Amino acid sequence: MATRARSTGKAVAAAPRDIAHSGFLAHRGGRWRKVALGLSALAIAVYALTDPQPRPNGGTATGYLLGSVGAALILWLSLIGLRKRIITTRAYSLKGWTSAHVYLGLSLIVVATLHSGFQLGFNVHGLAYLLMMIVVLSGLYGIAVYATLPAQLSANRNEATQPQMLEALRALDRQLDTAAQPLDKAEAELVRLSLERCDVGGGLWSRLTGRYPRCGNARARAAVQAIVDDRLRRGTPDARLTQILFLLERKDAALAQARRHIGLKTRLELWLYVHVPATFALLAALLAHVLSVFLYW
Amino acid sequence: MSFIVRQVARRADGGDIVRTRSFAAAEITVGRGTDCDIQLADLGIMLRHARLSLLSDGRVAIEATGGIPLEIDGRFVNRADLDVASGPAIAMASHRLTLAPGDAPGSVAVTAERVIAASDAADAGAETGIFSLQGTIPGKRRMAWGLVLLVLMVGLALPIWSMTRRQTRLPDAMVAAAAQPGGAVAQPVAAGGWRPDSVWSSGPLSAAHAGLAQDCGACHQKAFVSVTDGACVACHKPATLPAHAAADRMVRGRLAATGAAAALHQGLNLPEGRCASCHKEHEGPRGALLVAANFCTDCHAGLSTRLRDTAVADVPDWAGHPQFRATVVRDPSPTRPRFERVSLAGRPRENNGLVYPHELHLSKTNSVANMVRRQGLAANGALGCGDCHTPDSDGIGFKPITMEGNCSACHDLAFARDGGVVRTLPHGKPQQVAGIVRDFYLAQAFSPRAGVQRLAFERRLPGQRAEAVTADLRLTSPGEARLRADAAITGIFSPRGVCADCHAVIDTGAADTARRHAIAPVTLTDRYLPKGAFVHRKHRSQDGRTGDAACISCHKGTAVSKAASDVLLPPVSQCRECHGATTVKTRVAATCATCHAYHPGADGHGGPPAAPALPTQVALLAPRSR
Repeated sequence: MATRARSTGKAVAAAPRDIAHSGFLAHRGGRWRKVALGLSALAIAVYALTDPQPRPNGGTATGYLLGSVGAALILWLSLIGLRKRIITTRAYSLKGWTSAHVYLGLSLIVVATLHSGFQLGFNVHGLAYLLMMIVVLSGLYGIAVYATLPAQLSANRNEATQPQMLEALRALDRQLDTAAQPLDKAEAELVRLSLERCDVGGGLWSRLTGRYPRCGNARARAAVQAIVDDRLRRGTPDARLTQILFLLERKDAALAQARRHIGLKTRLELWLYVHVPATFALLAALLAHVLSVFLYW
Repeated sequence: MSFIVRQVARRADGGDIVRTRSFAAAEITVGRGTDCDIQLADLGIMLRHARLSLLSDGRVAIEATGGIPLEIDGRFVNRADLDVASGPAIAMASHRLTLAPGDAPGSVAVTAERVIAASDAADAGAETGIFSLQGTIPGKRRMAWGLVLLVLMVGLALPIWSMTRRQTRLPDAMVAAAAQPGGAVAQPVAAGGWRPDSVWSSGPLSAAHAGLAQDCGACHQKAFVSVTDGACVACHKPATLPAHAAADRMVRGRLAATGAAAALHQGLNLPEGRCASCHKEHEGPRGALLVAANFCTDCHAGLSTRLRDTAVADVPDWAGHPQFRATVVRDPSPTRPRFERVSLAGRPRENNGLVYPHELHLSKTNSVANMVRRQGLAANGALGCGDCHTPDSDGIGFKPITMEGNCSACHDLAFARDGGVVRTLPHGKPQQVAGIVRDFYLAQAFSPRAGVQRLAFERRLPGQRAEAVTADLRLTSPGEARLRADAAITGIFSPRGVCADCHAVIDTGAADTARRHAIAPVTLTDRYLPKGAFVHRKHRSQDGRTGDAACISCHKGTAVSKAASDVLLPPVSQCRECHGATTVKTRVAATCATCHAYHPGADGHGGPPAAPALPTQVALLAPRSR
């Protein structure tokens, strides 16, 4: 395009720009994927071509080499927490850093496993390995949900923002509150269930499963539905309660959308609640792992 | 006599909207219902919740009319008389009524306001709380701190605390077991419970050291100092487990690391040449005995360049293993035989003093085979290897060859028949032989007895029984008996005599016939390669061959050997046909430790068992290789 611009003799030509979005996984044609694959292949080659005696493990020359590489990788990988908080204009973009974080983090599985020589036990060294695998696999899960869930999130949101979802619920609450003012105590208590005993988010289990068995709105809706049906049967329909039932049903739908949104967001967020604390636990275990080797040298 | 009601509503920007109404009545009602004087839109409030009545002298009576008690200054009551001047407050669900004296005398100002925000109160925090996990589960930072502290406590703090307070005591049973010759003895895990520093263990200890699993300090005596030999020697005394060589020679012989490797060892406080350099622990039940195969050649590959006075040949690897240097007899002697180590490369001969052609004895067609058949000595009608070479109890070597056990069935020393008794000469006692022969002839001279026959010693035709020589025994005088006896003695020891079948006879030159003959000493080598632990039992069948074929497959040339001086040992190339070869079906080990022990000693602790010690003379007489 630039060439054509030049040939047309225009004084100002647009610089070629990468307008298509490429995610961190495909950053610069998968540069860090190649680096990570190369590192893994190198580690496998070193492991295969040396014959430590009496058996390969962390205590051989190969083991110390792979262990040093692995420890350096872990320290660098954990620095992404610092890096992402620093806004830079330098060449090392956060996207590139994230790409390297992901791929080098995955290569850590190879490096650290070969470092162990497949010799694992219930000790501080095994703990470090276990924590490392939890960190890496939770990160892998994170990538998977980042790749799949945003589309579902967007589809469910239906152009509504989070404040709009909440505002819809609040508007329904206000209407319910107003509509319930003429009701007597027992019926007003039912509406209060929906207004005061309805936790939109709920606990972790509810967020993950989308099940809200104690939801006040659902209980209120069931109870009001029963009363409305009863009045209908007796031929004395109650317009106020019918109106409230209609509002409760609308709130149910709004709640369902908000809760689907919450469920997706929970899955998007939860891995970090494993990834980050486990990383810090891993750093502590790594310190204990390395220090203990030298303490009992 | 009036109520002034001020209803306060909050504006979104925080300000208040106050609506004021006056009721010129002595009584007003409060509730959710539209017919109430003070209407409060709060589902927690009854349709008709309460009634306020003005009393005299600035007091107001309040009564709950909806069946729900009223909360006044923290107490729940159904009715109360309130002193307006004290500004009482009445809580009703999310609302609060506050009473105060009005501006006009006798009037009461009632302020009604919502004190608990409605559930739809919009604030930024609600959105975060609902749509993110914040507040639902503990924060990442809090969990990280908690886990870090937990890991540091269990993985570092407790073990260090345990390390600094430990009191190491070696289990008596283990110390006793280490002092015993023999291989490793599995030890039970010591009682005494779990110790925090055992979380640092990188793997299970070897079976023999299992008792130390909770006693890290037994080996790891000082922090940041690699396990020293002192920790090992505390149990493994040099008397039981001798050093490979003197410490200074070990240092000189070792190929010291240079450059980065040396700096690394130095910097990491990891000196080479320690017990733990080879014996790696925490490698499972057989761990401590697993030693690198290339470990020997690390030093022995170019040992002579570093240890110039060594008598040991350089061994770069198995393919470059030098030719065997067999310990052969140079000078046989009953008391002080002289041995010599000579390479098999020069087809050496040894001087064991014996006359023994293997060819003659192993033949299937000659007189020996005939005699063996007649006597029923061997199952297949001819002598085999195993008819003389009987394996010893541990199957490593063979029982010593003796005249009585291996030769006398054919080589009997019978010299006379006295009635039904065959008189034999004693083996190994030449002067006794002379005496017995003389006594025999003298007795016949003085008191001749019938039925006594002299048996001829002279070599006979194969299979022919000894002829009775009776005519010679008619003696007339002691002098003749003496002459005949001397002649017989000379005959026995002559080159055609019975002794010369197997032995060299030495003429001492003594005038006395009884002292003129001596048998050249015989020394048979018990073990030609004492530094290698060749176990014959393991080689009884090899490569499909069994029995004598297995023997001959290595000891080639035995069947055609015409002299006992032949050293019928296989060269090292013979071993390589199986060991280390890729052409045989069963891959057989070819590590140094297959044949050699690192720690010398008869008990073989740390190496193959029962490698016999080298005869002491060898050390004195073995020539330096350079």
